[in-house]
Amino acid sequence: MTLTTQNNNLWGDDIPWLYGLREKAIRYFEQTGFPTAKTEAWKYSYFAENALQNPQIDNTKHECDGHCHCHNKSDLPFEAYEIRFCNGKTEGEEIDLPNGVNVKSLAEAIFDNDIKDFLNKSFDYEDFPFAALNTAYLEQGYVLLIERNTILERPLYLHYHQHDNMNRLCNIRNIIILERGAQATIIEHFDADETAIYFDNVVNEIYLAPESILHHYKWQNEAKNAHHIALNSVQVKANAQYKSLCLQGSCTLARNESYIRLLQDGAKTEIDAIYCLKQQSVSDITTNIRHLATHTFSNQLVKGVVSDAAKGIFQGQIHIAPNAQQTEGYQLHRALLLSDKGEVDCKPELEIFADDVKCSHGATCGDLDKEQLFYLQSRGIDFEQAQQILIAAYLNEVIEKISDSKIKNWLQREFKLEDIL
Amino acid sequence: MSAPLLEIKSLCAGVAEKEIIKNLNLTINAGEIHAIMGPNGAGKSTLSYILTGKNDYEVTSGSVIFNGSDLLSLKPDERAKEGIFLSMQYPVSIPGVSTSNFLKHALNSKRKHDGLPELDAAAFLKLLRTEAQKFGVSAEMLKRELNVGFSGGEKKRMEILQMSLLQPKLAILDEADSGLDIDAMKIVADGVNLWHNNNNSLLIITHHLDLLNLIHPDFVHIYSDGHIVRSGDKSLAEELEKNGYKAFLDNK
Repeated sequence: MTLTTQNNNLWGDDIPWLYGLREKAIRYFEQTGFPTAKTEAWKYSYFAENALQNPQIDNTKHECDGHCHCHNKSDLPFEAYEIRFCNGKTEGEEIDLPNGVNVKSLAEAIFDNDIKDFLNKSFDYEDFPFAALNTAYLEQGYVLLIERNTILERPLYLHYHQHDNMNRLCNIRNIIILERGAQATIIEHFDADETAIYFDNVVNEIYLAPESILHHYKWQNEAKNAHHIALNSVQVKANAQYKSLCLQGSCTLARNESYIRLLQDGAKTEIDAIYCLKQQSVSDITTNIRHLATHTFSNQLVKGVVSDAAKGIFQGQIHIAPNAQQTEGYQLHRALLLSDKGEVDCKPELEIFADDVKCSHGATCGDLDKEQLFYLQSRGIDFEQAQQILIAAYLNEVIEKISDSKIKNWLQREFKLEDIL
Repeated sequence: MSAPLLEIKSLCAGVAEKEIIKNLNLTINAGEIHAIMGPNGAGKSTLSYILTGKNDYEVTSGSVIFNGSDLLSLKPDERAKEGIFLSMQYPVSIPGVSTSNFLKHALNSKRKHDGLPELDAAAFLKLLRTEAQKFGVSAEMLKRELNVGFSGGEKKRMEILQMSLLQPKLAILDEADSGLDIDAMKIVADGVNLWHNNNNSLLIITHHLDLLNLIHPDFVHIYSDGHIVRSGDKSLAEELEKNGYKAFLDNK
């Protein structure tokens, strides 16, 4: 595969450190290329290169005619601070924010020179080929900073909308920083016109200072012909909490990778996910949770539904370092496989080097319960609806964990669960 | 005389190529209560599954006409909407599905089929509360997930509540009395008697006389090895209770 740029000059190439960072990353990526079936971390969801059809790096300025959907205020049923991306580009609009919250575009933050301590500091891109690519074409994104002890009442709502079929490769980098004691909720919502073709390559670097709490919701409602690769690289310090829920729908290939480092005593994370796949779509939930200190806690609940010839993948790694005593790490993956042509791959990996820990993992894969289906049918509910009811009940276990009732109700309504449960 | 509600003719059926029902004949007219009694393993539950269309149960020959049409060609939900109800011996639990929303789906499916407008949440809840009271089903039970954590008695009461809501033409009670104490059995029987009238019919599958002392059958059939070996009125059940199945089956 070749990547063609319409214009080789990215903004900021005149800043030496940034230019160097990009150059190094592109050289690395050119050397290693896309992951293949032999790349362990990608063996289930490797790229058939020709499937990508040469995505374009488009570094022209954002030009939308102002009438497209992405300019409309979203129809969220609750108040939120909205930040919009249109075809992978930031809109540069003014956002009215309360005290203690700073939002800058990535470009602005780079020009202001206040980002060097955070950019590419939470991961090593040699472990994440698409993050290398993202670094090479670093351009779009936001830096969100929640100041010390600020408790953000409304969620920050990042809405990514795609509406044309140029097959752009959109490298988006967000940096999210919560200072000590800060609390915030971030909702990432990806959607698109049905016919859109694009490749989202998102990297979120998230830094949680001691005692801070971040709730991170992500809803991938991408177009059928989209690729979506995301890395959430998170550092969690003492007694801080990172709680995330990712909802994946069908698209050509989606991968949501959570790389979580629990760095200090009492750091906590919950990583939940749902995938609902149809047709030929491929979805990959990959987690790597690294317990690097005492009294750290992680819990993962991933549930999937696979129909048609779709493929669902869960790779979950829990690493407990030798010094991370009195740590708890739990993981559960359940999949419903509703067709003969579908596929579910599950790879749990536990690496435990400490001896005083509580850890468990479980994985199941099966069909809907025949007795339950018959029971519903015997009450006059037709087969399709009976299936829908059982699937909704099954998925709702994950949604029910959402502590914020307005977000829970919103998602239950969007997923048409509320009428069933 | 009107056409029979249910007419089973020379029915042979089974599961996994094992024949369980062997040349069964049974006719039930509107307004009648029939009881089928038989020893364990006689195939009584198989009959209830054949009539309701459970997957894996297959008819090899014979016919079942329900309300003038071929029952066997209908899917399970269609049979239910046409007016067949099975109170199950072991109702399954369905975690994650609220009891009241499930009941609303079931009732509205039937109403839609009957060409009636669907009930909205408020109208449905009003109806449900009235019905639930009759069977000692509390508001708290309706809020729970379907049959999750229900005791045996609660499950059976829930089955009868469903029957009462859906107003079937034919209700099959498969061991509706099993696991019930005397009070719970009385609630179930009262509910059934309240529902029963000249236009609907009942097929009671049971081992014991107890339930038949509360719901009086017009006909009692002794069922063994996949077919009816003797039919009579309620006195047959009493005779059976006294002498046991073995005496009957040996002397048939």
